[in-house]
Amino acid sequence: MTNYLKLAQQVVRQAASDGLEVEVIITQSKETEIRVSRGEVEQLSQSGSRGMGVRAIDGGRTGYAYTSDFSDKSIEDTWRSAVELAQVATPDEYRGLPDPQPIPSDDLEIWDANLVNVPTADKIEVAKRVEQAALNYDPRVIITQWCTYQDSIDHVYLANSKGFAGEYGRTTVASFVIGIARDENGMTNAFGLGVSNYFADLDPEAIGREAGEKAVSILSGQPVETQIGTVILDPVVGAQILTALSQALSAEAWQKKRSFLMDRMGQQVGNDMVTLMDNGRMPRGVSSAPFDGEGVPTKATRLIDEGVLQNLIYDSYSARKENKQSTGNAQRNGHRSTPALGPSNFYMQPGHLTRDEIIKGVDKGLYVISVMQTGGIDPVSGDCSMGANGLWIENGEIVGPVGGVTIATTLDGFLNNITQVGNDLRIVPFFGAIGVPTLRLDNVTIGGTKKQ
Amino acid sequence: MIDKALAQKVLSAALRTGADLAEVYVEDVTSLRLALEDTKIEQAVRGADRGAGIRVVFGNLVTYAYTDSLDEASLLDAASAAASAGSGSAKSQVIDLTARKSSLEYPILKPFDSMSISDKAALLSQMDEAGRAYNPLIAQVYGWYQEISRRVWVYNSDGVAAQDDRFIVEMGGGVIARKNGTIQRAYSGFGGQMGLELLDKNSVAGHIQRQAESAVRMLDAKPCPAGDMTVVMCNGWGGVLFHEACGHQMEADFITKGSSAYTGKIGQQVANPIITAIDDGTIPGRRGSLRFDDDGTPAQRTVLIEKGVLKDYMWDLVEARRAKRASTGNGRRESYRHMPMPRMTNTYIDQGEHDPQEIIESVKKGVYIKSMAGGQADISKGDFVFNATEAYMIENGKLTYPVRGATVFGNGPKVLMEIDMVGNDLALDPGMGTCGKTQGAKVSVGQPTIRIPKVTVGGTDEPVSGAIG
Repeated sequence: MTNYLKLAQQVVRQAASDGLEVEVIITQSKETEIRVSRGEVEQLSQSGSRGMGVRAIDGGRTGYAYTSDFSDKSIEDTWRSAVELAQVATPDEYRGLPDPQPIPSDDLEIWDANLVNVPTADKIEVAKRVEQAALNYDPRVIITQWCTYQDSIDHVYLANSKGFAGEYGRTTVASFVIGIARDENGMTNAFGLGVSNYFADLDPEAIGREAGEKAVSILSGQPVETQIGTVILDPVVGAQILTALSQALSAEAWQKKRSFLMDRMGQQVGNDMVTLMDNGRMPRGVSSAPFDGEGVPTKATRLIDEGVLQNLIYDSYSARKENKQSTGNAQRNGHRSTPALGPSNFYMQPGHLTRDEIIKGVDKGLYVISVMQTGGIDPVSGDCSMGANGLWIENGEIVGPVGGVTIATTLDGFLNNITQVGNDLRIVPFFGAIGVPTLRLDNVTIGGTKKQ
Repeated sequence: MIDKALAQKVLSAALRTGADLAEVYVEDVTSLRLALEDTKIEQAVRGADRGAGIRVVFGNLVTYAYTDSLDEASLLDAASAAASAGSGSAKSQVIDLTARKSSLEYPILKPFDSMSISDKAALLSQMDEAGRAYNPLIAQVYGWYQEISRRVWVYNSDGVAAQDDRFIVEMGGGVIARKNGTIQRAYSGFGGQMGLELLDKNSVAGHIQRQAESAVRMLDAKPCPAGDMTVVMCNGWGGVLFHEACGHQMEADFITKGSSAYTGKIGQQVANPIITAIDDGTIPGRRGSLRFDDDGTPAQRTVLIEKGVLKDYMWDLVEARRAKRASTGNGRRESYRHMPMPRMTNTYIDQGEHDPQEIIESVKKGVYIKSMAGGQADISKGDFVFNATEAYMIENGKLTYPVRGATVFGNGPKVLMEIDMVGNDLALDPGMGTCGKTQGAKVSVGQPTIRIPKVTVGGTDEPVSGAIG
């Protein structure tokens, strides 16, 4: 068995020279993916892979190269390529590797030592239970699409010429399913998903039921008339908006003038119920890690505190530009990319109300179950609009399905018009791990049919 | 990359537990990406990916294993892992592997290495200067250049031996314009399956100035009204609507499962008779073009809808076997780490009869979508949504003012029946599309200018009143 941390350090030594900083990442993973359909396994994929990425910084100029071929020749070609590419980049005095810092040794609970021993048959069983739970929810759930179980056992090895050397293992287990429901008016679909670090934490029945229940609930949905009103956002919907907020709260976005929140540090930017956190050390957080993509210890950062903008997320580059400390938010997407500033476990602090209490408090409004959007939630302009399906609420009761409407506000409007926050915080793994409870939001434009 | 004898050996190993079909897919990819932002070349990344995927089919079950190493031992290990789901003994044999030839030619006039990396970086700097010089309201310029050389080999136990080279180049840029508290951005790219002759036909300065013009104009946009409206969509990239809202529903995996609205509708009227739609994987220069797909099937042109009537779906090898018919050459995968699935190639609505100007003039009150971010659609119901990045109100047949925040939400199959004008200005997109059906695939989309008489538009402004159309 190759000692990958030693290999990374060795490549650092070969490539580094006076004035040339070098960082090497090696990732190794073992993945299983199972897809079932109609109670049978449809696809089964089990593989291992590894890769190496080399970042060279020469006088503030950065080059990067990667390979999946670990032959001596390929490794040498890779680091030489990184060094050569650095000559193409523009010098930037703020570019450089971070100084090594001690990594806290607290247990983040991201390693399920037992996962490697879980038989494939048990994993197939999980996928089958997810599908069954979706189909059993209601006879109108006719089939599932992409009913998948997947897991990944990952190791990350990182070394750099400033003396950092670290490694960690992380396990991820996930399941996803689309439930498809049909009635006399046509078909609908909704997804259910769950993700965790531990095999035992996955709840197949809950994942399947979510897909079945949501798909059935929006059958025969009709548009309501266009109006400005109240919406309740399911956590899966809120998470899409929070993804955009996480981008607007990155120091890089501010420095490069692409955040709608720019220049409002210390100001009230949202309702005082809104507290947003990024926490790279959340126990059993799917984005938790002892150190970030460039070897800086991860931490918890309070970004918006009771509506007041307090901080941004930083990597070492954006921090150096402002003479600040990195918040440990350099993310890496395997070995194929340079570290990039991004959220870890990013979430809104939950409140005290249950979902049902929030619904009960609405005189007239839309409970949004699913949305579709592409670029409609824009962290740069702050625009926020999407297509929506959901349930109509009158006098605190759900009265019927709604489909084919749009909902629109702005990200400023979102932060300021949140009037109730649920207690049901849920982490949704979109881009990173984004968590949000059920929210009540007022003053939203609901676009549907013409006013009668 | 691996010789025929080794391929044969690996396939035999994969068949040993009673599979119906075994396949080995080998890939060798190198790439270069340069990115500029804040006037600096911030990223210069070179990548090398090489590996193989072994796929084994046992009735309805498909198993897969991949490896980063192409030596015999690693390939046989992967074959054995993929075969381990079977429990019988070999019942199929490897048919003699004879290399298939393709008559399709996608010429590369100027290879990627005919220009130095620093000259490529210099193009991004030119883009930056031209963007900033356009207008003082331009607060930021960013740009990217990417080239990918992808060589693939496919061998299967039915005797397929196919090889394809795909050279994709792309250049793009965007700007952020800022005035008082308002921020707008605009970005776009251009590229295709070609060499650096791409740069002879396109000016980087011209490209970024068009983005700057759009972003600056959108700074003065008013909020888009919400409600049902007539929408006119631009030619070219506007074809993303058909791709998302209808194209995906014509992919065979959704058909065989019964989750598509188009299941069982061959021969039926599914669109207005003025609509013909085509998926064509054989157009030289386009991102979605292939000589062979990732199952080793020759690429082809498939008429999906002819004069409103549904003619065929898009098939890959596995779904075609399930349906006991031939593949249409639409089996594609992101890399050797992925199993192929039915995917679009270059998909478009064909030429119509109307002058695009005439289409705009026909609208009393509506929205003209000139550019948009990508789209999204759900399978089964067929609802789609896309967000306009540049849009204008149409009032009494004239474009009157820019609107921001417009979201168009409709139902694909329904809209296809309702589209009532198709322009004579068919164009494919400029060449920057990547479809993300759980895996990335390079595609092209296209259409002439089209008119949708009534669809839901979302925005934050007061609802529109007055007549539709």
